[in-house]
Amino acid sequence: MKRQPDFSTTSRAARTPSWERVALLACAVAALFAMALALRAREEARAAAARLADVSREVAAAAARRQALEALVLFAGGQALLAEDAPPARIVADVAAVLPADVRLDRLAIDYPRGGALELMVVARDAEAWDLLLERLERAPHFREVEPGPEARAAEVRSLVRARWAPVSP
Amino acid sequence: MALRGTRIYLAADASAVTAAVVLEGVKGRRLGSVAREPLAASLLVPGAAGANLVDPDAVRVALGRVLDVVGRDHVTLVLPDGIARLVLVEPPGGTDPREYVRFRLAGSLPWPAAEASVDTLEAGPGRVVGAALRRTTVAEYEQVARAAGAQLERVHLAPLMALAGLLRARRRDAVHALLGDVALCLALLRDGALVALRCRRRDRSPGEASRLREEMRRLSSVAGNGQARVDLVASGSDASRLLPELGGGPAPRLPPAALPSGAEAGWLGSLLA
Repeated sequence: MKRQPDFSTTSRAARTPSWERVALLACAVAALFAMALALRAREEARAAAARLADVSREVAAAAARRQALEALVLFAGGQALLAEDAPPARIVADVAAVLPADVRLDRLAIDYPRGGALELMVVARDAEAWDLLLERLERAPHFREVEPGPEARAAEVRSLVRARWAPVSP
Repeated sequence: MALRGTRIYLAADASAVTAAVVLEGVKGRRLGSVAREPLAASLLVPGAAGANLVDPDAVRVALGRVLDVVGRDHVTLVLPDGIARLVLVEPPGGTDPREYVRFRLAGSLPWPAAEASVDTLEAGPGRVVGAALRRTTVAEYEQVARAAGAQLERVHLAPLMALAGLLRARRRDAVHALLGDVALCLALLRDGALVALRCRRRDRSPGEASRLREEMRRLSSVAGNGQARVDLVASGSDASRLLPELGGGPAPRLPPAALPSGAEAGWLGSLLA
């Protein structure tokens, strides 16, 4: 359609009816609101992408750790003991439970990769206490493969005992 | 069915104010309702300079009456013949047609060119009809229309509307006399394009028809480049009275009973053409 002449002395904007101005304003507000929503959604998408990257990194680290542990298990012939399954505090408590009163534990070594192999450096006041320790270790359900080291029974008994801590099925 | 909307046209001339509802649909424009309120003599005197509204209150009341009939929203105000300077020009390529018309008319305006409101109407390949009005004159009509309650959307000019209708309808080759109450325009159309335009104030003294006939023939012979006889067509104020003497044909008429007998509005007829 061809442009029609217009000799108005007022600008077209000034002649726009009020309801049209209101509609125009509403459209502008709606456009601004939509723009704000779009920006917010964009920020949320960025945050989600950052979280995803973090989780991905954690998953990758866990996978690497799992691979390392699996390699360890293979290295140990499939008998490795996990610290999560047998915390050192629990093993120490189990050892303490079987120690007679006349026996002192000087050193305890726990070898997790080798399936919870224990080395207990103990000092017993006398041979009776030493024998009692060995008896308790052999009876205790958590200890297997108890091997007493060389002993000197002159006065106190100082020796190295090897054993293996094993979980007990309920 | 009016798919493109409804427009209200409000025109004021020396003899009456007229309002019309035009429905724009897929089949073109058609007239809805129309109202006309006669004005007493000398209440409104269209002129290019000076005040046009001798009695603004009386004009406002008349405008209010016709607006009561047709409504007040989306009104196009149609200014009468006789208040503008019109010219048919071929603007050079690359120039703004309105600025070119302003330049061409600046020296002939009876008011400072800076006070002119100028607009154009395409009139064929490379041609425009330019019109210049004094802003204070336009404002005078706008104020009285607004005072009557009209929500103005556009301000048009009766002779330009009439010319636009002729061009749009590709009327037959003829000299068309577009008659207003106080002024007229003679337009020579050939092959659907406007080739000559002459506008002047009317002399309604006895013998107007014969004088007009001679002027139309002169225009057709000068601008017609010696071609064969050109038909004479008249429309607008008093056209029905002048036609028998003119010896020409009538312009397409409005629907029956659209306006009281003898009260024709050339701009409205062209609008619906």
